[in-house]
Amino acid sequence: MPTTTVNAPAVYKKLSGVLELNDTHLQWVQDGKKAPSVRVAHADVSALFCSKEGAAQVRLKVALIGDDTGHSFAFTSPRAHIEREKFKSELTPIVARNRTTAEVAARAPVVPAKPVPVVKPIATPQRPLISQTPSRAVSVSSTEQRNVTIIPGNDPATDVRLRKTILMSDPELGALHRELVAISGQLSEAEFWEGREHLLLALAASENQNKGKPGQMVDPRPETVDGETKIVMTPQMIHDIFDEYPVVAKAHRENVPSKLSESEFWTRYFKSKLYHAHRASIRSTAVQHVVQDDPIMDKYLEKIDDELEPRRQRTDRVELFVDLGATLEDHGETGNEKDITMIAGRQRGALPLIRKFNEHSERLLNSALGEIPAAKRQKLNTDESYGQIDIDDLHDPEASAGIVLEMQDRQRYFEGGISNSAPGAEAAHKAVDTKTLILNAKMHMEDWETNLAELKIERKAGDTALLSMTHNVAARLEVKARKNDIPEALSRQMTICQTATNEFLRQFWSSMYPPAAELQVVATATPAQRAAKAAKMVGYLAKTQEKVDALVFMGPQHGVDPKRIEIAMKPVLNAVHRALAFHQTKTSKPSQRG
Amino acid sequence: MKFSIDDLPVIFPYDRIYPEQYAYMCDLKRTLDATGHCVLEMPSGTGKTVSLLSLIVSYQQQFHPTRRKLIYCSRTVPEIEKALAELKRLMAYRVECAESEEAKEKERSFMGLGLTSRKNLCIHPGVAKEKKGKVVDARCRDLTNSATCEKGRADPGSVDLCDWHENLGKMEPGSLIPPGIWTLADVLQYGRDQGVCPYFTVRRMVNTSSLSRPTCSWPMQMPFVDVIIYSFHYLLDPKVAEQVSKEMSKDAIVVFDEAHNIDNVCIESLSIDLTRPMLDSAGRSIIKLGDKINEIKITDAAKLQDEYARLVNGLQEPSEDDAEDGFMSNPLLPDDLLNEAVPGNIRKAEHFVAFLKRFVEYLKTRMRVLHVVAETPLSFLQHLKDITYIERRPLRFCAERLQSLIRTLELNRLDEYAALQKVASFATLVSTYEKGFLLILEPFETDNASVPNPVFHFTCLDPSLAIQPIFERFSSVVITSGTISPLDMYPKMLQFTPVVQETYPMTLTRNAFLPLVITRGSDQVAISSRFEVRNDPAVVRNFGSILVEYSKIVPDGIVAFFPSYLYMESIVAAWNDMGILNEVWKNKLIFVETPDANETSIALENYRRACDNGRGAVLLSVARGKVSEGIDFDHNYGRAVIMFGVPYQYTESRILKARLEYLRDAYRIRESEFLGFDAMRNAAQCVGRVLRGKTDWGLMVFADKRFARADKRAKLPRWINQYITETASNLSTDMALTLSKLFMRGISQNPDENQTGISLWTLDDVLKAQAKQRALALEAKEEEDEFGNGDFTDQMLIDLDI
Repeated sequence: MPTTTVNAPAVYKKLSGVLELNDTHLQWVQDGKKAPSVRVAHADVSALFCSKEGAAQVRLKVALIGDDTGHSFAFTSPRAHIEREKFKSELTPIVARNRTTAEVAARAPVVPAKPVPVVKPIATPQRPLISQTPSRAVSVSSTEQRNVTIIPGNDPATDVRLRKTILMSDPELGALHRELVAISGQLSEAEFWEGREHLLLALAASENQNKGKPGQMVDPRPETVDGETKIVMTPQMIHDIFDEYPVVAKAHRENVPSKLSESEFWTRYFKSKLYHAHRASIRSTAVQHVVQDDPIMDKYLEKIDDELEPRRQRTDRVELFVDLGATLEDHGETGNEKDITMIAGRQRGALPLIRKFNEHSERLLNSALGEIPAAKRQKLNTDESYGQIDIDDLHDPEASAGIVLEMQDRQRYFEGGISNSAPGAEAAHKAVDTKTLILNAKMHMEDWETNLAELKIERKAGDTALLSMTHNVAARLEVKARKNDIPEALSRQMTICQTATNEFLRQFWSSMYPPAAELQVVATATPAQRAAKAAKMVGYLAKTQEKVDALVFMGPQHGVDPKRIEIAMKPVLNAVHRALAFHQTKTSKPSQRG
Repeated sequence: MKFSIDDLPVIFPYDRIYPEQYAYMCDLKRTLDATGHCVLEMPSGTGKTVSLLSLIVSYQQQFHPTRRKLIYCSRTVPEIEKALAELKRLMAYRVECAESEEAKEKERSFMGLGLTSRKNLCIHPGVAKEKKGKVVDARCRDLTNSATCEKGRADPGSVDLCDWHENLGKMEPGSLIPPGIWTLADVLQYGRDQGVCPYFTVRRMVNTSSLSRPTCSWPMQMPFVDVIIYSFHYLLDPKVAEQVSKEMSKDAIVVFDEAHNIDNVCIESLSIDLTRPMLDSAGRSIIKLGDKINEIKITDAAKLQDEYARLVNGLQEPSEDDAEDGFMSNPLLPDDLLNEAVPGNIRKAEHFVAFLKRFVEYLKTRMRVLHVVAETPLSFLQHLKDITYIERRPLRFCAERLQSLIRTLELNRLDEYAALQKVASFATLVSTYEKGFLLILEPFETDNASVPNPVFHFTCLDPSLAIQPIFERFSSVVITSGTISPLDMYPKMLQFTPVVQETYPMTLTRNAFLPLVITRGSDQVAISSRFEVRNDPAVVRNFGSILVEYSKIVPDGIVAFFPSYLYMESIVAAWNDMGILNEVWKNKLIFVETPDANETSIALENYRRACDNGRGAVLLSVARGKVSEGIDFDHNYGRAVIMFGVPYQYTESRILKARLEYLRDAYRIRESEFLGFDAMRNAAQCVGRVLRGKTDWGLMVFADKRFARADKRAKLPRWINQYITETASNLSTDMALTLSKLFMRGISQNPDENQTGISLWTLDDVLKAQAKQRALALEAKEEEDEFGNGDFTDQMLIDLDI
């Protein structure tokens, strides 16, 4: 069992039990029972709700993705408040993470419908996950173990999970895997994945891609319910507010719980000028004068940033190509002032709003990319600065320096060629006498009109050509027309046979001609191992003929002409024979030599 | 690529060339040969700058000993820097291409520099930290002016000097910086490495008046530099041009790149605003001046006496070292410069101070009026004379006289005298020009304001005044931009006759950009930024839904432009309250232009990061604002530009009204014609920033029903207009989205057709085109001969009859 991180006694559906939060799941076990009756994967938690501070029951509600009702737990122990806080603090980041995933998933429907649990790379392998997969990875013999593709930075468990995801998202590949690895066991897991590392890498890369924060600004807006204005707060929202407005976090740190209770703090915050200053709204500035003073909150109030120059001056110089200030200071001010519509800051409250947008965007960007180092700002006049003025289509793509052919004794080769062909070349030069050439051409061209008129094409040849073309088209049409009359079951078997054979062939050839070293993630197999593998594959391939024969034999039972099956399987068989013949010569050669 | 136009060998730093670029170079060459002026419009992003530099440098290098210098003006510092980088690469390529070592050396000795303000080039740790350019200028002058330097050198440690500037003085003039092309960043780096002042390095290399004047008698100007790149103002604004550009030789080639707003720069350079706080500050400065004079009278009376004597003789300023000492010069244009003696009643320092005091008091009284006044300079002078007995002639010398006084008194911290300098410039300008100017006194900021905040506008109405000296002095002036339609407008406004006037269509093998005009929302409500409807919730919502929908389908960056700051601010606030921006946040980050330049630069930088990173972002900015000038949104930085509304100027502005009236009376340009032209050139400018190169692509969305009108679209540059189809000129939001999706799907495919030969020329194609042209020319000539012969015409007539 995974280690439990947080647990506390809690009531669920009026039954007492223990609520647990571990690395992967939130679960509730009824007292006296072993198996958890509520088990929620981290990835499924979509939101978190708490009962009010000071309410009779200390409750925590967890909403699930696709199920807003969720589960509600009440903490029962005397330390209920503290325990809930613990759960809350643990769950909040999980919720935040899930939100971003959900956001991304919603935007990109390609991602499988079931959200992929975000698994952090953990040092200890997670057994339960492995047992869930129908893979043979565990049972692979130890000599082949080293061949299991492991993506750098991933543990085997994650790797297994990745493979599972790939197989599930690609039904055809899944079927092939089931056929060859899971059922017949003809191929080992490692062999199957060899040469398919790119799929794993791609998936791992897309999973490891950092999902940025969603762009929207946190803006808790009051809702009016039964004449009462309410703002529903979730721990998630509090997290976001602290993130967006550090000053609120500071106020919270300094006042809760010493001076104010949690709920008091928020009530006062939402009534204060501070909140109205933070609201991303143009109207809020108007409200500001209606809002009453608050001795605690007003301490944190900053001056509204609506001067033409920002309150927080930034002196860092930007790259010259976007430096607008440089233009402004390029020459003394001249001319009449701008007309009234072109003077900024005339709309009250717009400037703080605009600044808030810019800052929010910058913060989001920095959270994903990190701050720009000052040195990088002025990256002018490196070679890449031409990139900003370069017109790329004016470069001749073919003019790029080609790859020089490396040759041994190049000089000798060329010189030899010259000396060898020298007499011949001379003769050739002599032969090219333009005058005679032109004369000859002229002679040939004489009377071309009559010649053309005399030109007759043999009728029979034309007819046969046309006929053969017609036949060809007809035959193709026929094939197309009766394409689908092989019964479903037989056709599936044929497909399976073909894909399986293809897989064997792929394995065989890849062991004969290993791919370029840099593509391999793990060390390539030694020649001996490759030979062994090739032999094994040849063994499988040799059986192909039998399989095809069996299929052909089955033909009449399904009412299909066995000839047609033979024809259908012919290319596969050809390929197999070729492979076998190749193997034959390859293996027999050394023995002959020896 | 190396080819020749007529007999001029041209080196072009790419393997291929666009047909537009070739045609552009041919026309440019024609202009240079004819030593005339030209107006050229070339589609944005088709490599205008590189073609221009490539041709002109080839031209300069061809006629080596009498190299014509190039003065290249651009609008903004980023553009200047880009042009310098472009030139640097071109020269590197030329060195590479040069065949002999000698030729290589010739290319290497080619020198190009960029000039900008002290603020941008200062590396003095204390001074560079100052935020305001004016303060940097003043502090720099305190450390580097000749009087201080003399004192400092005579008695080290007695006064603060700038080490970087001192180091420069020890070097040989003319070899302050090795030859080559130096971008602004390069010069800064060089200054830091060598411990010399970058600003004065450039200034002295460009303008060595002080060094050459005593010894050299021949006009050898800009002796060390072949190309100088700086902003429009350095040539057009007489206050600056006097210091920087006076010495430029007459056969220099002057280029105004990105010149679509050149008329505004001209007007700005001769207009001045005075406010009450400014007059108060000027008044304080006058008192300070008076105190200083009294002080000097006791300590060093001879100094004042010397000055007086000089002024009697009518000598010009003693200019030992213009570069350091020049702080303010006459706002007049060179041909108005007077070489006469300063009038008697302002020669004595204390008289001049009293004179200034009276003038400032007069202006203060004028500002107490609570109704709008508009008058001509003549009527202003008459009134002035009636009240204060100030004559026109001494007023004209005001700026010059102040300059002399400040120099004599060896004042420090000149930024504190800025207001007084402005008043003096105002005095000089108002007493010099009779036509083309207007004085407008506006006591209130807005029509419904009740607290007076008077502004005295002295406004120039005629852009040709500022640019006229340039046309007269330099033989070849090139005015070029991506959006300079309609072409005949510029010669009319600026009063010159171009020898070449050309616009080039954009040849494309597949449409790289899709201009769309959205006239109504999906709910069929017409959208417009017209004043009456712009705050209508339906319009605001429809504008918002355009942004939301495009943020969903367009990858990477989207730039949206609004007609004014006021409208952008109100619409951003409204969108936020309507929850529209929340929808945008889901798809992209949002950045907004702010009034502060540095803040906006940082937002821009972050915007670019978001585009590079793939997160994508939306940039909201203003059509005539800072971002719309000089920042490119090519490739992923701008896959769509949305123009919300038509960027008309604020027509209630009195200054604009006066200007329109003047244009109508003087040049017969109708008000509506000018307004429409001005709006469309700004719209085209915003939209044209999305492209660089023909493989780049972008959407151009014009969201206003007024864009659908044919007369509006006719004012767009030809290269944009030619791709607006009839269907795309009147769309609802949903239709536009469908078209956009279709376009993006198509453009994301690999272009299979070969562009070469059609929209992209190899060397062979160039040669072919030249052969064809020659053949045509020959034919035309033959035809001419035949016509001259006469026989053939008769023959033809007979043939026709049959």
